[in-house]
Amino acid sequence: MPEDLNWAVGGEAGDGIDSTGKIFAQALSRAGRHVFTSKDFASRIRGGYTAYKVRTSVDRVESVVDRLDILIALTQRTVDENLDELHDDSIIIYDGERSMMSDFETPGETIGLDVPLKRLAEDAGGAIMRNIVALGAACAVSGFNIEYLDESLEKRFGGKGEAIVDNNKAAARAGAEYVEEEYDFSAPYDLETTDNDYVLLNGGEAIGMGALAAGCRFYAGYPITPATDVMEYLKGRIEDYGGIVVQAEDELSAVNMTLGGARAGARAMTATSGPGIDLMTETFGLVATSETPLVICNVMRSGPSTGMPTKQEQGDLNQMLYGGHGEIPRFVLAPTNIAECFHKAVEAFNLAEKYQLPVYLTSDLSLAVTEQTFEPEEFDMEAVEIDRGKVVDEETIGEWQNEKGQFKPHAITDDGISPRSFPGTDGGAHMSTGLEHDELGRRTEDTDMRIEQVDKRDRKVDTAREREDWGYREFGDAEADTLILSWGSNEGAMREAIGMLAEDDIDVRLISVPYIFPRPDLTDEVEAAEETIVIECNSTGQFADLIEHDTLSRVQRINKYSGVRFKADELAEEVKAALGEPTEVEA
Amino acid sequence: MSAFNAIDADREVDREEYTPGIEPQATWCPGCGDFSVLKALKGAMSELGKDPEEILLVTGIGCSGKLNSYFDSYGFHTLHGRALPVARAAKLANPELEVVAAGGDGDGYGIGGNHFTHTARENHDITYIVFNNEIFGLTKGQTSPTSPKGHKSKTQPHGSAKDPVRPLSMSLTAGSSYVARTAAVNPNQAQEILVEAIQHDGFSHIDFLTQCPTWNKDAKQYVPYIDIQQNEDYEFDISNRQEAAEVIYDTELALHDGEVLTGRYYQQEGRLSYTQEKQEIGEMPEEPLAERYHDDDYEWERCYDMLDAHR
Repeated sequence: MPEDLNWAVGGEAGDGIDSTGKIFAQALSRAGRHVFTSKDFASRIRGGYTAYKVRTSVDRVESVVDRLDILIALTQRTVDENLDELHDDSIIIYDGERSMMSDFETPGETIGLDVPLKRLAEDAGGAIMRNIVALGAACAVSGFNIEYLDESLEKRFGGKGEAIVDNNKAAARAGAEYVEEEYDFSAPYDLETTDNDYVLLNGGEAIGMGALAAGCRFYAGYPITPATDVMEYLKGRIEDYGGIVVQAEDELSAVNMTLGGARAGARAMTATSGPGIDLMTETFGLVATSETPLVICNVMRSGPSTGMPTKQEQGDLNQMLYGGHGEIPRFVLAPTNIAECFHKAVEAFNLAEKYQLPVYLTSDLSLAVTEQTFEPEEFDMEAVEIDRGKVVDEETIGEWQNEKGQFKPHAITDDGISPRSFPGTDGGAHMSTGLEHDELGRRTEDTDMRIEQVDKRDRKVDTAREREDWGYREFGDAEADTLILSWGSNEGAMREAIGMLAEDDIDVRLISVPYIFPRPDLTDEVEAAEETIVIECNSTGQFADLIEHDTLSRVQRINKYSGVRFKADELAEEVKAALGEPTEVEA
Repeated sequence: MSAFNAIDADREVDREEYTPGIEPQATWCPGCGDFSVLKALKGAMSELGKDPEEILLVTGIGCSGKLNSYFDSYGFHTLHGRALPVARAAKLANPELEVVAAGGDGDGYGIGGNHFTHTARENHDITYIVFNNEIFGLTKGQTSPTSPKGHKSKTQPHGSAKDPVRPLSMSLTAGSSYVARTAAVNPNQAQEILVEAIQHDGFSHIDFLTQCPTWNKDAKQYVPYIDIQQNEDYEFDISNRQEAAEVIYDTELALHDGEVLTGRYYQQEGRLSYTQEKQEIGEMPEEPLAERYHDDDYEWERCYDMLDAHR
């Protein structure tokens, strides 16, 4: 378990919580410390409770835990919401001069530092810098070199001019000095810094970056939480690479525009969340049957219906696997951490174009809103390869024409993959349709041709199974009796839980699966284990159902559907309970 | 010169080049107005010298959706109501393509109404032909968005309780920069209007009256028709939105009184298309993005500097 510090800033939506937290996370990253952030937030613009939490260590951190060491509380509710996570040595920074905090009493044995945030900010140049004063105070308390905060402030406010940057730096110092002068205590933490060079980014940004690196040059979307980050990341960047982002009138249009862009020859993507997937599912069959490459990013959130738009869930697995009428060949990729979001985005585009079918790239709210540090080498641009599959041009087109010179976009081939020609290419004109069709793309109800085309489309999946790597990621003790299976974003918390379980002499093997379809056959692994436990953020165990189906074995299930992601310590306890071991609660 | 060798080939194109070699006879009913759309489109494209392989013809679902089965070019038969998003995106990805979308009145004014509104509003430089027969034909005769009030059908046996949509008014209000109505029975006017619409820079909408002799027997054959440009009762300035709106209103009312008015209603010159607007604000490359892809020697940009923003 890493030597970590857990820090948070909380208040009302509209208090600037998000940017304040991000500034601190950035400063830690610049100081060569690892960072893993999380957010508590509601679907509203103002009011309500919101918090930005930062876990930091010199070692890599990949999850959140149930512990808060330093809390900047702009409201009483921030404290109330986090009572369970506070401990006797927790430090709460608050502004007793703020009317709503004037009666504030620190709970239990926690240490309260009353800092006149607003007044000090006004002295430094403006009340708007209230949160920056708090950040300065937090630096003093945590023994963190305030110069790293300066760097982060320069980055954040550099575009607004030197005076603004200087004011913010002064505000931060005022907060730090106030704590040092008014409170007679030495900082209980001493945040070590390193020379390591890290990048800090969230899952939405990683997907956007992966898409750009993969040559995505056409994006159409309709804003939806928590997928909008992908669109906002691409906007303003994709243009530098000759691409475009289009905001459509609805998700139906977004996915059909993506389809139109792809048919005209662009690498194209859309991103949405569950409610958008519902609408886009209409077009899914057309994408598959017209054999058009398309990447649909689904950033899952809590459903059904509008559900809890700002909460975590992995409830769309069946929707992605089975959504749409008829039988639709598709791939479903589920990156297991933020760096993997980048790599799987690249892979999604290559798979889509090589096999000419729709590919779901799915992350979830917890990946989308988490900022995490990585070594820059984990995003190796040089290693990105672009494979556009079987695209023909005027020289190769002759190989794919019939005796009349007609192009065969759905040619029956051994590997199931047919050629693609883009509009404007001489000799490549063809029809494409959502109707069943022959090799030329002309509609048909001929029974033999129907069977040939269905088989051909299915064969692409078989080909992909053979040619591509659909492996899993593995952690922990490969020989352990207990096998934990995870998909998507649970990997980080479970990885850390492995260490916690080891302290209680419980060894586990963790298999983290990034491919939902096609997926690795885990029969041998499940049979080798005495106990298999599937962890996922939904109530019914959709992935567990798949595993039971694949392996013909029963598995145990740990499900969480409260809207909050798994925490490492919580998972360790759940695994212990599943294994019949005494848990902390019982002990 | 485009990387796509069929684009701007600049040659004479015989209208028979648009007739596919292998497709069986059109499955439209004898006397169907859809034949006239096909004929007019072939004539217009030939007149404009468009190579079949620089044309993308995108259709929706219904009898109208079969248009590209009988027209040899790049064709994409999409979903009910969704032809426009596909068509306009293809145009964005490759503005050098000649993109035409087509669908029925149910497709464009019903299920795809939102896309119609927004495509018109955004003024994409594409042509949209709506086959308006005031009925659902392929599903055998149900009430459509343009069926007149009181029209009896299997789904409205006591007569439709709804006023029909006003397609031309909708189009004008939504922002189409070229609005016209023609009729299957008037092939010369149809071809002229299609030529104009295709040449027009911006979103061109043609409400094409296509009689359905099978399922809309009591409907007119859309004769006699009046060409408003040839009739002195309808002198107005087609670049004037207010004047156009009035004539359009009269036209929509008159149709249900048995008077078929056709012609050009509105043309707005000089308004930038969506592509041009995006280029103006630096959000779209001058070079068609599809073209970069098509170059075999294309060096994919590496995005090293993207990471720097995250340090």
